[in-house]
Amino acid sequence: MVEMIRKSSTDEIVNHLILAGSCILLMLTGFGFLFHVDAIGSVFGGFNTMKTVHNWLGIAFALSLLYSLHHYLIESLEYDADDLQWFKVAGGYLSHKVKVPPMGKYNPGQKLYYLAVVAFGFAIIISGIGLWFFQDNRTVMLLSHIIHNVSFVVLVIAVPVHMYLGTLANPGTLQIMVNGMMPLKDARKKHPKWIKAIGKM
Amino acid sequence: MTNDTTKKRKAILVTPENCIGCRACQVACKSWNQLDPIKTKNNGTYQNPPDLAGTAFNIIQFSEVPSQIDPVRWLFLSRRCMHCDDAGCMTICPSPGALFRTPEGAVAFDHKKCIGCKLCSSACPFDVPRYGADGKMSKCNLCADRIAADMTPSCVKTCPTGALKFGDRDELISAAQKEGFKTIYGEKDLGGLGTIYAFKDEPKLYGMLENPTIPTSVVFWHTYLKPLSLIGLGGVVAAAAIHYLAIGPHKEEEKEEEV
Ligand code: HEM
Ligand code: SF4
Ligand code: SF4
Repeated sequence: MVEMIRKSSTDEIVNHLILAGSCILLMLTGFGFLFHVDAIGSVFGGFNTMKTVHNWLGIAFALSLLYSLHHYLIESLEYDADDLQWFKVAGGYLSHKVKVPPMGKYNPGQKLYYLAVVAFGFAIIISGIGLWFFQDNRTVMLLSHIIHNVSFVVLVIAVPVHMYLGTLANPGTLQIMVNGMMPLKDARKKHPKWIKAIGKM
Repeated sequence: MTNDTTKKRKAILVTPENCIGCRACQVACKSWNQLDPIKTKNNGTYQNPPDLAGTAFNIIQFSEVPSQIDPVRWLFLSRRCMHCDDAGCMTICPSPGALFRTPEGAVAFDHKKCIGCKLCSSACPFDVPRYGADGKMSKCNLCADRIAADMTPSCVKTCPTGALKFGDRDELISAAQKEGFKTIYGEKDLGGLGTIYAFKDEPKLYGMLENPTIPTSVVFWHTYLKPLSLIGLGGVVAAAAIHYLAIGPHKEEEKEEEV
C-alpha cells in the first residue's frame, strides 16, 4: 500500500466544493445574462428564476469565500526566494527539463491564484450586492455594473486555468480536493518544505 | 437598426410651441394603458404628476421662463420615452425579450420577461424607465398595440392642437423643417430618436438634455468587456488544449505538483 498524507482537511474539501460549485454556476448564469442565452435561462425555467438563483448563489459563494480565508490567506501572503525562482522557470510548465525549486504546501502560482480569487471574488460580491440592493441609486448601479463585469472577465479566465492545472495538467491532484490525500512519496518530492515542516521527511 | 426598418420608422413629433398644457395626452395615455391614478400634492407648479412614474408614461413638463419682453412665459414640454435607435436600456438589459424593438422602431417591453433588475434606468440617457408595483419596468411603448392595429398612439390621437403628431419619421422631420423649425431635437442623437421635437428656441430653454449619451461605462462594457469574457474563456480552453498536446502534463518521474 502506498503511504498517503493528508493535504486537505474535510473542512477544506467541503468548502471548496461549495466555492467551486457556486462559482461555476454563477459564471454559467452570468453568461446567460450577458449573452441572452435562452438555453441557459430555460434550465431554470426562465430568466426571472435564474435571477433569483444567481443572487442566492452569490450568497453561497460569498460565505464560502469568507470561510476559505482561514484556510489559505496566511500561507498565500508568504513568498520566499524559491518562489521567485519558481516564476523564473514558469513552474516547470513550459518545459519538463527545467529544475523546479523546492516548494512548500502551495506553489506561488496557487498562492497568487488565491489572492486573485479573494480580490476579484470580493469585488464581484460587493458589486453584486450593489446591483441587488441599491437599484434606485444610479451611481451605485453603474459603478457596480462595471466592477461586476471586470471581475467576471478576470475570474472567467483565472478559474478555468485553475481547473486545468488541478486536473489534466497534474494527474493525481484532483483527489486532494476529493478525499484530501496524496502519496507521501510524491509530497516529499513536490512539497519538501511542507513535509519537513510537519516532520515527515 | 438596419436601413430597411429605418425607412418605415414611425415617430412622435412634439412641437412644444403648439402645446397649451391641457394634459389631455396624460389622461388619454392613462385611459388606454389602464394605469392607476397617482395621489399628488400641489407643489406650487402646474406640473402634475411631478415626474414620470410606473403609472405615468407621459407628462407635461412645465417651466416658467420670465424675460424682460415676456414676463409671463410658460413652456410646456411633452415628455415620454424617446424610443432611441441606440437605446441604452436595450443595451444593458440582461433578460432577452424584456425590451424589444417593434417593427415601427419603438422600444417596447414585456412585463413577463422583465426580471426587475432596474439596470435599464441607469443606462437611459433620459431618465425614463420607471417600475410598477411588481418591480417590473413600465414605460411608454409608443402604443405598440394601437399602431399594430393601424391607429395612432392615444396621446397623439387626443391632442387638440397638433402639438403631438405621429407618422413616418422622415416625413415628420421634413415637414417640420419646411415649417421653419430650425432645430429638430433627436434627428441625429443616439442614432435618431423616435420621439422628436421641433423647436425654434434653444431646446435647453425647455429643459431638454444637450448631447444625450449612453453612460461611458455601459458603452465600454458592451464594446470591450462582453467580447473579452468570451475571448478569455475560449483562449484558456485553447491554451490548455495546446499545452496538453504540445508540452503535456507533469510526468510521474519528474513530477512537480502545481495547481
Ligand atoms: C470543477 C472545478 C475545480 C476543480 C477541479 C478544482 C480543483 C482543485 C484542486 C485539485 C485543488 C487542490 C490543489 C492543491 O491542494 O494543491 C484546489 C484548490 C483550490 N481551489 Fe479549486 N477547483 C475547481 C474550482 C474552483 C473554483 C471555482 C474556485 C474559486 C473560485 C476554486 C478555488 C480554489 C482555491 C482557493 C484552492 C486552494 C489552493 C489554491 O490556491 O490553489 N476552485 N482546487
Ligand atoms: S429614452 Fe431611455 S427608455 Fe426610452 S428607448 Fe431611450 S434609453 Fe430606452
Ligand atoms: S428592469 Fe427589466 S427591462 Fe429593465 S434592464 Fe432589468 S430586465 Fe431589462
